Amino acid sequence: MKAKNDDKPWLVRLLNGERTVLAKAISALENETDEASTIISGIYPYIGKALVVGFTGSPGVGKSTLVNSYIAGLCEEGLRVGVIAVDPSSPLSGGAILGDRIRMAAHEHLENVFIRSLASRCHVGGLSRATARIVDVMDAAGMDVVVIETVGAGQSEVEIAEIAHTKVVVCSPGLGDDIQAIKAGILEIADILVVNKCDLPLAAHTVRQLKSMLSLRDESPEWSTPVVSTSALEGTGVVELTEIIKNHEKMSSNKKEGYGKGKPQQRVLRLLANSAADEIKKALLQDKSEEISTICDAVLKGEMIFSDAIQRLIKGSLPCKQ
Amino acid sequence: MSNKQIDEGLKQWEELYSKSLPNDKPRTNRSNIKIKPIYTPNDWDSDRYMEDLGFPGEEPMARGIYPTMHRGQTWSQRQLVGLATPELYNTRVKQMIANGANALSMIPCNSVYRGLDVDLVDPVLLGTCGITINTVGDMAKCLKDIPIDKMSIGLNDPIPFTMLAQVLAHAKNINVPWNKLTGTSNQSDYISHYVANHMFFRLALKGSRRVQMDEISFLRDNCPGWNPVSVVGQHMQQAGATPAEAMGLTLSTAIQYGNDCVERGMLPDSFLPRFTFFFDISISYFEEIAKFRAGRRVWARITKERFGAKDPRSSRFKFHCQTSGVDLTRVQPLNNIARVAIQGIAGILGGCQSMHTDGYDEALSCPTEEAALISVATQNILKDEAGLTDVIDALGGSYYLETLTNQMEEEIEATISRIDAAGGMFLAVESGLVQGIIGESAMAHQEKVDSGEHKIVGVNAYVPDEDDASNRKVQPWPDQNIMAKHIEDFCSFKENRDDAAVQRSLDKLSEAAKSDNQNVYEQVVQATINNATQGEIITRLRDELGFGNPLINA
Amino acid sequence: MIEEKTTKEAFKPRVLVTKIGLDGHDRGSRIIAAWLRDAGMEVIYTAPWQEISTVVKLVQEEDVDVIGLSSLATDHLLVPKLMTALSEVGYQHVKVVVGGIVPDADELMLLDAGVSKVFHTGSAKNDVIEAIGALANKARNSSSSITFN
Repeated sequence: MKAKNDDKPWLVRLLNGERTVLAKAISALENETDEASTIISGIYPYIGKALVVGFTGSPGVGKSTLVNSYIAGLCEEGLRVGVIAVDPSSPLSGGAILGDRIRMAAHEHLENVFIRSLASRCHVGGLSRATARIVDVMDAAGMDVVVIETVGAGQSEVEIAEIAHTKVVVCSPGLGDDIQAIKAGILEIADILVVNKCDLPLAAHTVRQLKSMLSLRDESPEWSTPVVSTSALEGTGVVELTEIIKNHEKMSSNKKEGYGKGKPQQRVLRLLANSAADEIKKALLQDKSEEISTICDAVLKGEMIFSDAIQRLIKGSLPCKQ
Repeated sequence: MSNKQIDEGLKQWEELYSKSLPNDKPRTNRSNIKIKPIYTPNDWDSDRYMEDLGFPGEEPMARGIYPTMHRGQTWSQRQLVGLATPELYNTRVKQMIANGANALSMIPCNSVYRGLDVDLVDPVLLGTCGITINTVGDMAKCLKDIPIDKMSIGLNDPIPFTMLAQVLAHAKNINVPWNKLTGTSNQSDYISHYVANHMFFRLALKGSRRVQMDEISFLRDNCPGWNPVSVVGQHMQQAGATPAEAMGLTLSTAIQYGNDCVERGMLPDSFLPRFTFFFDISISYFEEIAKFRAGRRVWARITKERFGAKDPRSSRFKFHCQTSGVDLTRVQPLNNIARVAIQGIAGILGGCQSMHTDGYDEALSCPTEEAALISVATQNILKDEAGLTDVIDALGGSYYLETLTNQMEEEIEATISRIDAAGGMFLAVESGLVQGIIGESAMAHQEKVDSGEHKIVGVNAYVPDEDDASNRKVQPWPDQNIMAKHIEDFCSFKENRDDAAVQRSLDKLSEAAKSDNQNVYEQVVQATINNATQGEIITRLRDELGFGNPLINA
Repeated sequence: MIEEKTTKEAFKPRVLVTKIGLDGHDRGSRIIAAWLRDAGMEVIYTAPWQEISTVVKLVQEEDVDVIGLSSLATDHLLVPKLMTALSEVGYQHVKVVVGGIVPDADELMLLDAGVSKVFHTGSAKNDVIEAIGALANKARNSSSSITFN
């Protein structure tokens, strides 16, 4: 999107898609430096254009390889693609090995592709805390599609539903645990189900299993969740998947309430809610007042239930209380 | 002697032992087998002689695969040689032959491993770790004045075996019939490349599988003295697998290849006699010897039980071995001469058919001429001075070694079962299971080194105050002028060939790769005869059969 | 060991562990990656055989502080070209270390070309971690970062 005359130089460069500025902005958002809020307010008028596609599913089902094949097609169409690949942080050391690029080696050198590896930094939802903001800054930098690949930790990944327009849940044949995870929650968020490694034995069985699970789910009238068979390694089924993602986008952007691509209000609300939560947490942890310790004691002794304590804390900690 | 006497004696000794050594720490070998301070007939008894050992050349093959073993024929001294240009290689190899080497071995430059001709690579890398060999013309220069019908040739030649095609084309040009050639396609084990050594593969996993089968079947019909498959445990052990895991994974790989051959309609006794193996020898002396003895037994059993082999040659576990590069230190490099000698003894007592001993300077650079000659001399000393070849399986019957051999066999079988459960080696590699096993063992070993539990002289024990590096000799990088001339020669080779013939044969190659039933390898050989380069051949095959992307886990 | 910066979280060094050139042996790079992770760093790990131009792009996208190159054959000979490519895009603040089999004469050549440190086989875990942590700090502080204001 074209920058306005009074935009700051960094913003102009970001909107022009300058790789180095985008990368540094992502770092600032990820590390929540003091510059983060400047960046968020700067990009705010320019977000809401990119299609955001989430890929989730258990480790080992071939998400990275599938994302690699998916972005190949997008590149051929001349689209600009941003990829956010999240890998788990070690809970012990806080460090991480971010290896998703291994499977994306075929495209990582392309000018149209920007890949950023993120460590989950022990955030439980399967996505790094900063992911939503990073989606926005990639969006502002002119990415036509932003692909998010999650940690793949199973059922806790429902958080992606808040961020991605189209949620692709990937599984591979014969993994019992996988099916359990899908039953337990991921299925609810899936707009598209993929059975990857479809050349393996049991693939057809897994497809049938998923279809029968879907039949038990309440379907929306606009969208009936398809089950797509792919072999990311061989490239089969990927064209079909890309087409289905496109159809899903069309369907959702036709919906009245601005679901899909153009739902900036919701995204802003989400950003605000996240930031507010951060602020409240900061305020509470820094608060050394008598009231706080009274509440904590009451909870410890069982005199106050959790939900009441939370209500009191929120009310007490909001900056508007003065 | 009755068992009772032994039990009593052992009890007394154990008391004495624990009294004198109250803080004795438990010890394990690299395969995580607990090592006791003493072994007795309670651990292994000669009652089990026929069941566990038998006689050399007979089942269960523990003592060796031939009746005469090293008394009849010592191992091939196959020193790896790879020097910048074909001409330099030819000079070095003739010198090695004059010094006692009795078999040839060829290592190409990493650019060749990657399937790139010299005109596509940054010249600063060319010939720095092997021969830049792209065409039949290059092969003719490498083998000039060498009687190829009288020397076994080992080629480090991954799929699609372009170096072998060059040897065949060269033989044709100098009128040596193909059935007079003997040798081995080392690096034919594409699975080991995918799991442990992301360097040699040039084609995608499935394409590699197909071309390997084409090669086996082509050579069986046209060059019967050639060993088309060398199943490699060396890469996996160098990458971190324990000796037992490396052996188990190698045998699982051999099972996979055997099954693939059967699926191609080949009879087991027509291909199994030509399967060979290649292993690492670490400095864990007894463990390595036990590994080889156990491996021989397991393979003999596999050939009978899984493949129903009848020909005794099918059950012979022929193996080449190489002293471990990972065990060599950069600090005090001359110490490596001692390490290599000990590893070499383990290879010999393990009953090898062929061996390479490392140059002592391999942790510094590619081996210098001096180091290469010392490593040949090391083998000669072991062979002719030390009396190691006088007795077959000289350590057989040792309570410790026999117990250890049995324990290693159990570990090897456990690894094989794990791979069986994953659907065989091919699927276990595709899914990353094998890479995971190797990676974990590599980390576990590294932790032992970090903690000092595993000692390395000069590195974490007896560390020298100062390690004077100033007067170490290293192999100089190739002379850029010589390399420039070589690139020029390559370009003029391409200009002066019959282009139409090259294109025709490359088209036939693509067509064969597209089809399901044509033999791709036959077309690789034909294209090479028609002066196609290895880079051109591999590019065509990649277009049809896919590029070999690494299958690694982070 | 690793200083805390004035951010809400402790400064996490970002290290690219990769291989350029022709060789693919990865035992060393895997171990280094695990060491650095266990020391609390974030390691971007890639496939081998990277082109120099791709490494530069990765360094920019991933905003790394240190590049760790593993070289077990002769690929370290390409490193001076990487150093040039980094300065051409103004990324000379990023520190480069090389680990593996590097002959002595070549070590001097690499240091001359701007490489911060060469680790030989047998390097101790703590030495590697400390050196890379310190280099990451230095890189982060000397980065001519874009200011967002």
